[in-house]
Amino acid sequence: MKLLLFDDYQLGVLNKDGNVVNVSQEVENFDKMPPNLRVVEVINNWSKYQPKFNNCIENNSGTDISGHKILPPLPKPGKMVCMAVNYMENGTRSEPAPINAFLKSPNSVIGDGDTIEMSEQDAIVFEHEAELAMIIGKEAKNAKQDDWRDYIFGYMNFIDVSSRGLGAPPMDSFFAMKSPNTSAPMGPFIVTADEIPDPLNLDVKLWVNGKLRQDYHTSDMAHKIPRCIEWTSSITKLNPGDIVPTGTNHRGLGPIHDGDKIEMEIENMGKLTVFVKDSLKRQWADETRLERQEKGEKETMAPRIK
Amino acid sequence: MKLLLFDRDKLGVYKGENIVDVSGAISGNTYFSPQGIMNDIIANFSSYKSKIQEIVNANDGVPASSVKISAPLPYPNQLIAMAVNYMEFGARSAPAPINAFLKSPDSVIGNGDTVELPSADAAIFHHEAELGLVIGKKGFKIQAKDAYDYIFGYVNFIDVSARGLGNGSFYWGKSWDTFGPMGPCITTADEISDPQNLDIKLWVNDVLRQDFNSNDMGHNIARCIEWVSQTTVLEPGDIIVTGTNHQGLGAIQDGDKIEIEIENLNRLTVYVKDNLKREWPTGIDQATADRAAGRTTSGGFGERS
Repeated sequence: MKLLLFDDYQLGVLNKDGNVVNVSQEVENFDKMPPNLRVVEVINNWSKYQPKFNNCIENNSGTDISGHKILPPLPKPGKMVCMAVNYMENGTRSEPAPINAFLKSPNSVIGDGDTIEMSEQDAIVFEHEAELAMIIGKEAKNAKQDDWRDYIFGYMNFIDVSSRGLGAPPMDSFFAMKSPNTSAPMGPFIVTADEIPDPLNLDVKLWVNGKLRQDYHTSDMAHKIPRCIEWTSSITKLNPGDIVPTGTNHRGLGPIHDGDKIEMEIENMGKLTVFVKDSLKRQWADETRLERQEKGEKETMAPRIK
Repeated sequence: MKLLLFDRDKLGVYKGENIVDVSGAISGNTYFSPQGIMNDIIANFSSYKSKIQEIVNANDGVPASSVKISAPLPYPNQLIAMAVNYMEFGARSAPAPINAFLKSPDSVIGNGDTVELPSADAAIFHHEAELGLVIGKKGFKIQAKDAYDYIFGYVNFIDVSARGLGNGSFYWGKSWDTFGPMGPCITTADEISDPQNLDIKLWVNDVLRQDFNSNDMGHNIARCIEWVSQTTVLEPGDIIVTGTNHQGLGAIQDGDKIEIEIENLNRLTVYVKDNLKREWPTGIDQATADRAAGRTTSGGFGERS
């Protein structure tokens, strides 16, 4: 099932034609509930709501999705625990980097059609990181790897926008680098886990202004999903509605600029489109990290040119 | 006014040593969590204040020891912690570059609760006594000169820290469940005349470990709010903890009682449990104190030899 929030935080489910069916009134106390808790309530009581929603979409032709404002499905998650440096970079790494994660501010979330507003602070460069995000379905504390499926409610597209060089590196500076307002585009919807039989066998693609930048496969993940669940939940409890983005393959990363259109799509998860605004109109060389490497450039990231 | 939450979802106010239940001021409202109660009180304090004060005036309350006090912000949307933010009694020649990290909302515990040390192989677990700023008003890109307009009140906070894990990763060092003792109450800003001149004390098993003043802060309160709000939108019920003076940090271990008290913020007491019963030397971790003050360039902070 594909779940989304739309218009004034109504809850929708996509039917077989891809149209939006409003299921809000199936949810208890829906109108009183703050927007950030609406999908959490559904996750917490999924066995109750799933048959009701199924019934709704079978009997309702719905409305065209293009006629609605799509909102992030989890507009202010309890936690976003993001895996750091978690790909084998198409096998070019000899071994995984040590497992690590960071928290991203719940206030950084934006949704489909929204705009990334680049910080005016003097970052080295701003990059997109296309990521597969897991949505937690059940409280996990010291979860066992073998039980990983029990804890995952679903998946969605996630872009971990990164403002390089902010903070106080080499000290852990993830707050300044990863939590700037509007740095967490997600959606357009949550795909429930039953529709993604193998999350480690998915194509992940990201385009900037129609040009393919990132194009990788989740089989290249370094610490696999069961290990990510086990490790993150050994430190902090994961709660229903928490989000765990699983990291990115860095080879296709590149700069984002004022006026850019960014699109991201993981198989079966719909296309997420966001825009970029930079009040300072800064410019960087339009090259991905891989393109720079192939040209023999020493610096990994695109240099600023204006 | 000293506001708190107790017996899970009751709103209280300290009246001397007693606690007055002022939940009547919010009866009829729908809340989805105890944090939601405090967020509403903070965001709309001007409309609740007189009603709360009336109830306090008309009641004697009950002894604080007769109720279970929880953290006044039991699940903050943003718990933002300043990193390396003291001059270490003036030992540093300049403040460290300004920096912060997010601490998990699941780390928060309240008065009388227990810090549970994880089995992870940390070199040492430290207490860090810190002044917490409770945000009262939504703000983004706040200027330092306006920063105090955004502070609702102040709270004791202990930033419990696991050293030597994950090569300096803050998630790995700081976000463990139960590593964020907070409370017992939020003292509203009108009762703290100079937050940049407060004595901050922390005891372990009744022995004074940390004893410093907030005037030794590296980046002052106004600058912290300015800097943090360049990155993220601050909202009522968010909390910024302002860092610690590392002179006086020491190990915490199974069976310890930890108390923190900042002037006029009342005393917070928590306990420590370690299923592995590991042992460290008691008293001050001098290697960490020396490293933080710049007297040495290695050792301390759980660095393994």
